[in-house]
Amino acid sequence: MAIMTQVEAPGTTAPSLSRRARSRQGRPTTPKHLRSNLTAYMMITPMVGLLGVFVLWPLGYAFWLSLHRSSFYQSPKYVGFAFYRYVLTDPMFWHSIETGLKYTAMVVPISIIIALLLASFIKTLPGRTAGFMKTVVYVPAAVSSIVAALVFTFMYQDQGVGNWLVGLFGVKPVAWLNNPDTALPGVAATGIWLRFGIATLIMLAGLLDIPDSYYESAALDGANFVQRTWYITIPMLKNVILFLFVTEFVLAMQEFQLPLIMTKGGPVDATNTPNLYIFNSFRDNTPYATSFSLAASLLLFAVLGVISMIVFRLVRSSKAVDG
Amino acid sequence: MRLTYLLMAGVSVAALAVTGCSSSSSSGDSNGVTHVSFWQEKYEDYQQVWFKKQVTDFNASHPKIHIDYQVVPGDTWQQKLKAAQAAGKQPDVATTNYGSIAPGVADGQFIPLDGLLPDSAFSDLKDNVKSFVTIEGKHYAYPILVEPSTVLYYRTDLARAAGLDPNSPPKTWDELITWARALTKGKVTGMTIASTKEDLQWSSWGLQWDACGHWAISDDWSKSQATDPCYDKLLQFYKTLYQDKLMPQQPKVNYPDSLPYQQGEVAMMADGSWAVGQLKDLAPKLISKTAVAAFPSMDGDPTKTTATLGGWTLTIDGKAKHKQQAADFINWMLAGDPQIMTSFFKAGGYSKYTVRKSVDQALLKDPQANADPFMKVISDKVIPYGRQEPDYPTDISDALATAIEAAMKGTSSIPSALGTADSKIKSVIQKQQLAGTQP
Repeated sequence: MAIMTQVEAPGTTAPSLSRRARSRQGRPTTPKHLRSNLTAYMMITPMVGLLGVFVLWPLGYAFWLSLHRSSFYQSPKYVGFAFYRYVLTDPMFWHSIETGLKYTAMVVPISIIIALLLASFIKTLPGRTAGFMKTVVYVPAAVSSIVAALVFTFMYQDQGVGNWLVGLFGVKPVAWLNNPDTALPGVAATGIWLRFGIATLIMLAGLLDIPDSYYESAALDGANFVQRTWYITIPMLKNVILFLFVTEFVLAMQEFQLPLIMTKGGPVDATNTPNLYIFNSFRDNTPYATSFSLAASLLLFAVLGVISMIVFRLVRSSKAVDG
Repeated sequence: MRLTYLLMAGVSVAALAVTGCSSSSSSGDSNGVTHVSFWQEKYEDYQQVWFKKQVTDFNASHPKIHIDYQVVPGDTWQQKLKAAQAAGKQPDVATTNYGSIAPGVADGQFIPLDGLLPDSAFSDLKDNVKSFVTIEGKHYAYPILVEPSTVLYYRTDLARAAGLDPNSPPKTWDELITWARALTKGKVTGMTIASTKEDLQWSSWGLQWDACGHWAISDDWSKSQATDPCYDKLLQFYKTLYQDKLMPQQPKVNYPDSLPYQQGEVAMMADGSWAVGQLKDLAPKLISKTAVAAFPSMDGDPTKTTATLGGWTLTIDGKAKHKQQAADFINWMLAGDPQIMTSFFKAGGYSKYTVRKSVDQALLKDPQANADPFMKVISDKVIPYGRQEPDYPTDISDALATAIEAAMKGTSSIPSALGTADSKIKSVIQKQQLAGTQP
């Protein structure tokens, strides 16, 4: 640009002046950093638009509706936070949160432990065998949860595999899904089976990132498998485990399909998870159903958000030291 | 340029997503033909066949009206209907059960059919059924059928083998329990009855009325009556059947499905009259070994209610654009030529019951209907004492059903379970401001 100016300066013609004028007048109004920002804004516009249309607007509208007694046939009537009080004073709402937490307490730790053990095992296998094992553990994740729920329901029947197994020990058939004590663990077993495959692969990716030199040094110092796992693997996998814990926690708290198909929330509400409670509230044939279920959904959103924040605070994530 | 493409792609995706979310309206006019949408909740297979045939025949004989017929599975009905209502795409005509008419009318969901159907259509209805669809003197639905929710089916061969007289079925709850004990042998359990909240919500209504002579909420919907001692006996009855293992501990299917009886896993079955059709269709060999009776009452009085009369109607939506054409369809199919409805009851193996006097007359001329071994028992001994299903909010039914289930599964004592139900009903009355809002 500087060379051009020097060349053109002595004998300027009208057109070249005009170009220079345009160049000097136009460019300073849009500084370079703003031009690059504009490009970025334009690039994110479609996504922000979609987010606005499909997330923000429905969220705002849901909140507005939750403040009204609404019907599809009558004008909404403003009732303030009445539905929030209604939900918060409904023992079933709190019972469903408790059920969700119990389900989470069963599914998340067991999935993570199984994943850690399996990933550690797969890491020791030679190439082809490891590939085969990775495929095998991933298969459950590829199965529809509807299909899994139906298969497990059959397995829990009187003549199913579950009762055949306990029958080997002389135990009479157990009504796995119709007994309030065994129904939630029964559903949780299905949830663990569906989720441990993905957790294993994520865990394996984390394991492969840990430098072998750590283990070699530990082995030279005489550390056994448990010590190596406790002092090297788990600290180095802290972020992976935290990621799995938070994502699995949120997914498990929102579990809905498995209890819907396997137990319909029973027996005696023993498997009535928060989302199933909201879903059944929505299906109620009363003018209160829509606003009530919306208020419950937004409250659940808040509860999950708070719990996730607490988890992040308790287990501070940090960058891995190496690798 | 790439940015332009990116933006265009983004806008296209958004437009596709938005348009993809809406379905084309099935109600409207095209080429002078008025389209009327009709949603039918999915029932037994023969019903879909029957409805489809009637819609085809109607469309063929009415060139100016076209019925757009859609079958919707029962477990997705509520959410699909609500989603359609939210989008303004609700069906013009829909199947509605008797219990949903009053709440729907209060919400403005249905329009009265008076004036749209001829008066003769309503005068042909049986008086007790007419009251099921009438609110403040107006008819908001046209009934298709009635069916008692609870009838006792039992295996005559197994009864004989157990030393019981199949010609003298149990009349009291105690006798029923005695029969169930005698018939529980090996892999066969005495009987099957609802054991989950979902099924108990509605299938226990008849026995609730039998035990107490009133519902768990007062007639003016202002007070809970769930702690009335009469409910103790009801819960004890269910508890004995379950905890003494006189019924399957883990049901494979829901209450309306007669599968355990068809497969010989139970010797007796509490089920609706519709199970007759299932047995005729799926287990014809059992028909000769099966007898039906009114479900026993608590004290043995055969005139006491042990079953509610449920059933289905057709309603016209409050926002329907072509009300008269929708009414013409209902009138043609349900209120017109009695032979049309006669064919319906015949297709169902006479397991459902008529709502029109003229259809009764037509069935009297049908030798098959008159020879049916079950129809006479149900017509004479069950239907006359059946009560209309309650139309209070589902939350009330849910509270009592949870109490029954808790007693059966042993998670609460009977007084504690009823106390919880009482608290819940009181809470529902207060929060939903139910007092004085009964239809």
